[in-house]
Amino acid sequence: MTKEIKISIAIFIIAMLVMLVYWFMPQSSLALKQVSLTEVEEKVILPQYENTVYQNIPSVKAYLFELKALIKEGKSILPLPSAELDSDAQKVQDFLLTQPAFLKDTKQGEVLLHNDMMRILPAIISSMNEKTQKICDTHTCYQAEKYNFVSNVTTRAIVDVTEMKLLTIQNYPNMQPDISYRLAGIAKDIALYAPEVKKELGFTPSKKDITMANVRGSMKESPCENTTHLCVAPTFTDHKKEQALWAVVDLTELRFAAAKWAGLGKTTTPACISERSLQNRFIMKNYCQKDTFLEKNGWKITYRLTGSDGLEIRDVTFQGSPVLKSAKIVDWHVSYQQKGAQSLDTSTQTYIEGREVEFIRGEDDAYMFGYNDAMGCPMFSTSVVLPFNGPQVKELNTSNGFMLTQDFRNPKWPMACNYRYENRFEFYDNGSFRVVGVNKGRGCGDKAIYRPVMRIDMAVDSKETFWKMSNNTWKVMKHEFKEKVLDTRPYNYKITSHTSIEKGYYIESNHGQFGDNSRGDNATLFVSTFKPEEGAQDLLTLGSCCKLEEEGVERYVDDNVSIVEEDLVLWYVPRIRNDAREGSEYCWADTIIGIDGNVQIKVWPCTVGPKFIPIKGAH
Amino acid sequence: MRKYFPIFMTLMVVVVAAYFVVNQKKEALNIEKISEKKKQFLGTFTKQKKCAVPPKFLTQMKIPQPVIIDLSQKRFKGIALHYGKDFSKTLHPKLWEQYEHFSTYAVDTQGNIYLVPTPFISILPTTFNLQKNIYKLDSKTGKISIFMHFDDVHPTANNPYGLNAITYDCDDGTLWVASIDESDYQSQKGVIYHVNPQTKEILQKFEGVDALSMTLLKSEKGKFLLLGSARDNGLYAYPIIKNKLENTPIKIISLPHANEHIRKIKIINKNTLELQSIPFSYTLIAQTAKEDRIYYTIMWDVLKKMWSIKGKK
Repeated sequence: MTKEIKISIAIFIIAMLVMLVYWFMPQSSLALKQVSLTEVEEKVILPQYENTVYQNIPSVKAYLFELKALIKEGKSILPLPSAELDSDAQKVQDFLLTQPAFLKDTKQGEVLLHNDMMRILPAIISSMNEKTQKICDTHTCYQAEKYNFVSNVTTRAIVDVTEMKLLTIQNYPNMQPDISYRLAGIAKDIALYAPEVKKELGFTPSKKDITMANVRGSMKESPCENTTHLCVAPTFTDHKKEQALWAVVDLTELRFAAAKWAGLGKTTTPACISERSLQNRFIMKNYCQKDTFLEKNGWKITYRLTGSDGLEIRDVTFQGSPVLKSAKIVDWHVSYQQKGAQSLDTSTQTYIEGREVEFIRGEDDAYMFGYNDAMGCPMFSTSVVLPFNGPQVKELNTSNGFMLTQDFRNPKWPMACNYRYENRFEFYDNGSFRVVGVNKGRGCGDKAIYRPVMRIDMAVDSKETFWKMSNNTWKVMKHEFKEKVLDTRPYNYKITSHTSIEKGYYIESNHGQFGDNSRGDNATLFVSTFKPEEGAQDLLTLGSCCKLEEEGVERYVDDNVSIVEEDLVLWYVPRIRNDAREGSEYCWADTIIGIDGNVQIKVWPCTVGPKFIPIKGAH
Repeated sequence: MRKYFPIFMTLMVVVVAAYFVVNQKKEALNIEKISEKKKQFLGTFTKQKKCAVPPKFLTQMKIPQPVIIDLSQKRFKGIALHYGKDFSKTLHPKLWEQYEHFSTYAVDTQGNIYLVPTPFISILPTTFNLQKNIYKLDSKTGKISIFMHFDDVHPTANNPYGLNAITYDCDDGTLWVASIDESDYQSQKGVIYHVNPQTKEILQKFEGVDALSMTLLKSEKGKFLLLGSARDNGLYAYPIIKNKLENTPIKIISLPHANEHIRKIKIINKNTLELQSIPFSYTLIAQTAKEDRIYYTIMWDVLKKMWSIKGKK
């Protein structure tokens, strides 16, 4: 036997043994490697930039330009370009754009609404009823689909091209169609432009890096904004790492909505990406389950989202000195005033938009009704108003500091009886800070009174003294108290260390001087001694929404309890009246149809909250 | 060169054999996958006869059938019954409000209605305690009372829910009740209690699953507790063997959207279920409007050997 034959036999035996082992190797161990590769951490990325940045993308710009021109011409359906149509489809498009039945839902009164023709193709059998099928057996039939971006309705028409006759027309509310090649291109452009996507990928992607986006229809079924918008998800695949970045693009608002890294394996591929569920997971993981630390311009801030007390900042220092132990807005009391208390039936519970309403009878046949809104984490909480997009750090317009801010919204804002609040903390370069509540409407109507309840636990010293300006002199407050904040300028109050009156902060209430179009705080101030059970942890709803003579904090104030040289907590409750009168709107939001036929939201925010100025260095 | 011919030939044979083996293995795995799918099949089932009877106090009050049980909390707190032409008449004694809000119910063979609570929008000082009870609307008297209290249910501000789902077992007159109070963002710690309503004895405490809805199903393959998850968008079937819930769930289907959860499960036809979904995130966000609810029909497709899903608003 030659050496070569021996080698051949050896190869054959080894190969047979390997194949034998492979054949009997259990599936689980074969899959093990694959699973471990596909178990990619499902990282979520939320937008960090304003929506307007996408309007400069050439394809978006051209699309919006065409849309405005179309609406100006008195038309409301953006037709498909001829490149997306064969000759019969072109005829069908021309025909349908003159058909009243097809145009029926393209107007709201006299206002034209943005519609896009999405696709026109030979009719598919499953889209037709029996009668239509019979006609189309002998005639050439096409189906056309358009989408109404305002009402979120898809319309499908079947047209007999042989006789150029409209056979059927059907509306599908709350459903989105397959999108046109043009919109697919725009979605790709937005995903490619998004700075968040570039940062995640680690390089500037090009169209060749996007998978799926060229395939018509493959990007639909990616709901965002509670499925009321047309959203798609272009995907960037990294085959080596067996993972993909799914970027959700909102084509109704022409913006990047959210993104998610996921493995390519079956277990982690997001069959459905929803902006809301991505936001929930991102916010829960990053801001509800752990504290986040921010260091900027000499400030060190720890922050978190709470279960029902909104955004809380903790252990704040400036240039190494303690400033705050905690600050947060624990509640928004919302109440409305109405006439007709005599005929008011309160024998059964009343609900408005799913919220239980509280009624309080007043004088002169007036009554108050309303509710308490808790803000907090989007899951596992008693929150009724949801955080959107996580806390953001932004520069102040005045360029002398920055803000940490969190947007809270009812999912259906700005529809009636839905609310939007902003929790904001402003930090100035000189060591001042401001606790701010912003209301962006819209609520259930005019004559609303909003009262954010702010809890501010200062860290001036372990023992503090509280002062009030009275007849141009500072007077030490001796006992826990509640009082209407007077418009004493520049400062109404101050809080100092018990050892040094130089160490502490002046408190400047807002009377419209901060350049934010505010009409003032009209606040009530409470000062109490620190007790852990009084708001150190999450506070559930505090007091009545509608008893205007009470703010809810009264339970924590006892005018027999001394506050001299104690650890103090300030409760500051501004009172804002909204205004829905045209030209003087305040705490209000409205929707209009813009010149491009799309919904535009107009907001008139009201901003309240006191500013704290370090005594040392103040003037 | 000729001397290497045996090696070359052997390599050729090995490559061909390897190709054959890999393909055969793949095919075998595919067959396994298909049989995995078959495992989703619960066996043929049909619409089951209901054992529930209407509460007796309705007869005494001369209230005609049918009656709608309203737990929507939109117009009436607690429970309300609608009857008459177009269900325009309503029975809602003030006393039916005393335990605040209810999420779902089960009716027994005597006409007693068992109710489980729900927190609704505002948290009052009593809210958390009320989530620890099953309530009973007595068939004879029409009075609501606390039927059973669960000491181990502890709702908090971080998860205000307690007992939240219930179904009645017509076979042996027992109740299956779910609670989700122990669960948090990281872990699923819900409990299903199997309760004998006669003795109020807990027959089984099954831990580790968050149910938002439950229904019992009997098929040719056996008995299952169908469970709509509070945690994800899935519908699961837990086998019940010798009256014990087995921890070998079969995932039947996932709904199309990640943030919808099955709130109601109905057996409507042969191998066909109707599912009703809502957004749910263990918070008090009011998403109870009609447009928040989505209805699905799911059916076992005999030809494709898989569940098919059809949605309607």
